[in-house]
Amino acid sequence: MPTRRGFYRFLSMLGGNTVAIAMAVPGVRFLLDPLTKKGQERNLLSLARLSQLQPGKPQAFSIIEEKQDAWVKYPKEPVGSVWLVRQPDGAKEKVLAFSAECPHLSCSVTLSNDRQGFQCPCHGAMFGLDGAKKNAVSPRGMDGLEVDLSDDPDPVISVRFARFQPQSAEKKSLA
Amino acid sequence: MLNNIIAWLDDRTALPTITRRFLDRPVPVNKRWGHALGFALLTTLIVDLITGLLLMTTYSPSSTMAWGSVYYITYQMDAGWFVRGLHRYASYGAVILGGLYLFRLVLVGAYRAPKEMHWWLASAVLLLILVAGVSGNVLPWDQRGYWAAIVETNMAGGTPIIGPMLKKVILGGSQAGSQTLTRFYGLHVALIPSLMLFCGWVFAMLFVFRRRADDETVLTEPYWPHQSCCDIALASLTVALICALTVATHGYSLDAPADPSSDDYPARPEWYFLPLNLLVHEMAGREYIATMVVPGVATTGLFLLPLVAKLLPRKLGSALAFLFISTLAIAALSLTGTAIYRDFESTSYRIAREKADTARDRAIQLARDGIPPEGDSYVLSRDPLHHGGKMFEKKCLGCHPFGGQVQGEPSAPDLKDFGTRTWIRGLLEKPTSDAYFGKVPILDGMKTWKESSKLSPAELDAIADFVATFATIDPEVSPADWYAAPTTKNHPGYTLFQKNCVDCHTMGDPSQAEKKTQPSPDLFGWGSPRWTSRMIKNPSRSTHYGHLEADQKMPAFADQLTENDISALVRYIRGDYTPPPPPAPVAPTSK
Repeated sequence: MPTRRGFYRFLSMLGGNTVAIAMAVPGVRFLLDPLTKKGQERNLLSLARLSQLQPGKPQAFSIIEEKQDAWVKYPKEPVGSVWLVRQPDGAKEKVLAFSAECPHLSCSVTLSNDRQGFQCPCHGAMFGLDGAKKNAVSPRGMDGLEVDLSDDPDPVISVRFARFQPQSAEKKSLA
Repeated sequence: MLNNIIAWLDDRTALPTITRRFLDRPVPVNKRWGHALGFALLTTLIVDLITGLLLMTTYSPSSTMAWGSVYYITYQMDAGWFVRGLHRYASYGAVILGGLYLFRLVLVGAYRAPKEMHWWLASAVLLLILVAGVSGNVLPWDQRGYWAAIVETNMAGGTPIIGPMLKKVILGGSQAGSQTLTRFYGLHVALIPSLMLFCGWVFAMLFVFRRRADDETVLTEPYWPHQSCCDIALASLTVALICALTVATHGYSLDAPADPSSDDYPARPEWYFLPLNLLVHEMAGREYIATMVVPGVATTGLFLLPLVAKLLPRKLGSALAFLFISTLAIAALSLTGTAIYRDFESTSYRIAREKADTARDRAIQLARDGIPPEGDSYVLSRDPLHHGGKMFEKKCLGCHPFGGQVQGEPSAPDLKDFGTRTWIRGLLEKPTSDAYFGKVPILDGMKTWKESSKLSPAELDAIADFVATFATIDPEVSPADWYAAPTTKNHPGYTLFQKNCVDCHTMGDPSQAEKKTQPSPDLFGWGSPRWTSRMIKNPSRSTHYGHLEADQKMPAFADQLTENDISALVRYIRGDYTPPPPPAPVAPTSK
């Protein structure tokens, strides 16, 4: 037999919870907004001419592009950097390009002291000049990027910059 | 009178009664200093709350202005360094006291009934202190905070399944930026303090409405005034130590503004996360042990302890609890020690840290002149010394030495002071020197000239003086007008220049180059920002080195450098920048 008190109890619970859930929905959506934002599409960027590189001597090049950060639009400025490694003559790929972001935890990979490979200053990940990992710190080798060489006698090297998910053995693109 | 007011207040609110019950609550007489630990912890949190409110009156939570506002607090505001130092060091105090407090609770078995709530609250507060430390570290948006945020959020991003989404939500986007800072700010100044205040309120309620004594056999006395005196004594000592540390280090240091493009910043977390950071290093390939398993087990252990203790025989439970907390403590201490020792020993860390310190000192020096409205990062990115130097090292040093500094085998002139009288005088003296065209056999024009030239040092001086004025030619002035100007005609070096140099070099009309003895760069405006930036952008111009074969030319850098990069480079080469102060500025050390 439903009582008046029972009815009020039910009504209070119902009302309170309805309001709470109604308020939680926009709140959660607001907080999770970053998940709805897509990363930007990237074009090939010309970085250098082949003659500027010497085989086996990696050089870092900045990726210079406009950047939209929430409500701020930044003019062209360096947003990341890549390492270009020219391969010996006759190799299939003339130039290898690696993102300087460490696949371990995204610190910037720099040349090792002996210049015979790369290393990360944060947790000591080591890589060879071919980007292959040399110790177990990084879950995978350095992330290779798409390279395009023009048909000129001294080809222009263009690279499509991209970011990949750190801490994953598999190279997964970050949207 | 006062009694009447209190009576009235009590009638309306019961606050005086509650306060009295709180002050008169029975406390054991045998554990005075142990009890005082909790009050000292509370004191550090109150110091953090008050200094935090003070900092909020100036701090600007924007990724473009945060660094500047923290710079202003630290270096410009009266007592700013002290307030900010207190805030940071009080949080260190809270971490240490929080740890000690938990340790003591284990020793006295205060996780057992009826004190489970006590234990859970203390554990929750310690975790909140750690989260506050992590989020607060990011707020200055300096290199240290920025890179710590990157590494920490990437660790969170390694969580199975939800990791990548979690990281994006914490960062407020796929990259660290504006919303990263606002999110950490909200967490740091609103959410965490609210949760702590809630824990504090529950804590107070535990004391006020305690239903039973902890241990009937222990002799007790009212909290006020004996125990309160011990509490105040330890709290004062804590505050004194925090003040002493603040004064000794002259506040907490501020690193250079966040620079996402910096390529060798040695990111390190706050010292209390060094153990986990080292574990990340050691557990290579199995980071989840350091980022998930260890913190997970430690936290779960803390919260399950009262329940586990209930299930086990008393002695076994105590032993287990002690073992658990001591293992945590010993592991944390030894890992921290190892981490600090490793960095101390590591050459690459030292070099990277020195570079970061140089950038920091420079940023702080330049910030004195004000921070551009576009944001903090422009303090350094527009500085010829810092940014131009970095660009030179990346783009030029492979071929051009700089003041004798080389990288690899030089194949071009030394560019230190290029465009100034010093450089041109040196060239006229000995063009074949390695600093000039000694390493560039293809550019033998000056060498040929020098071999047949019989000019005296005084005459060379005059020419150098004259050529050095080219850099100051107004870009709006045409070559004809410039030639006609009396300042040109009457210059002591004018006649010598006309006699000796224009056989090869054109002056503003490169179409005349074919009539010259040997193709050479046009010297009109030589060394000026325009001339040099054209050289950097495209050396193949007819006014520069268009006459060389493709494989002999310097590469064009127009696509690889922004206007700002080039202007910084040009000014760096000429030495046209605010000189760094001779001794390092008085800045707090980084450790």
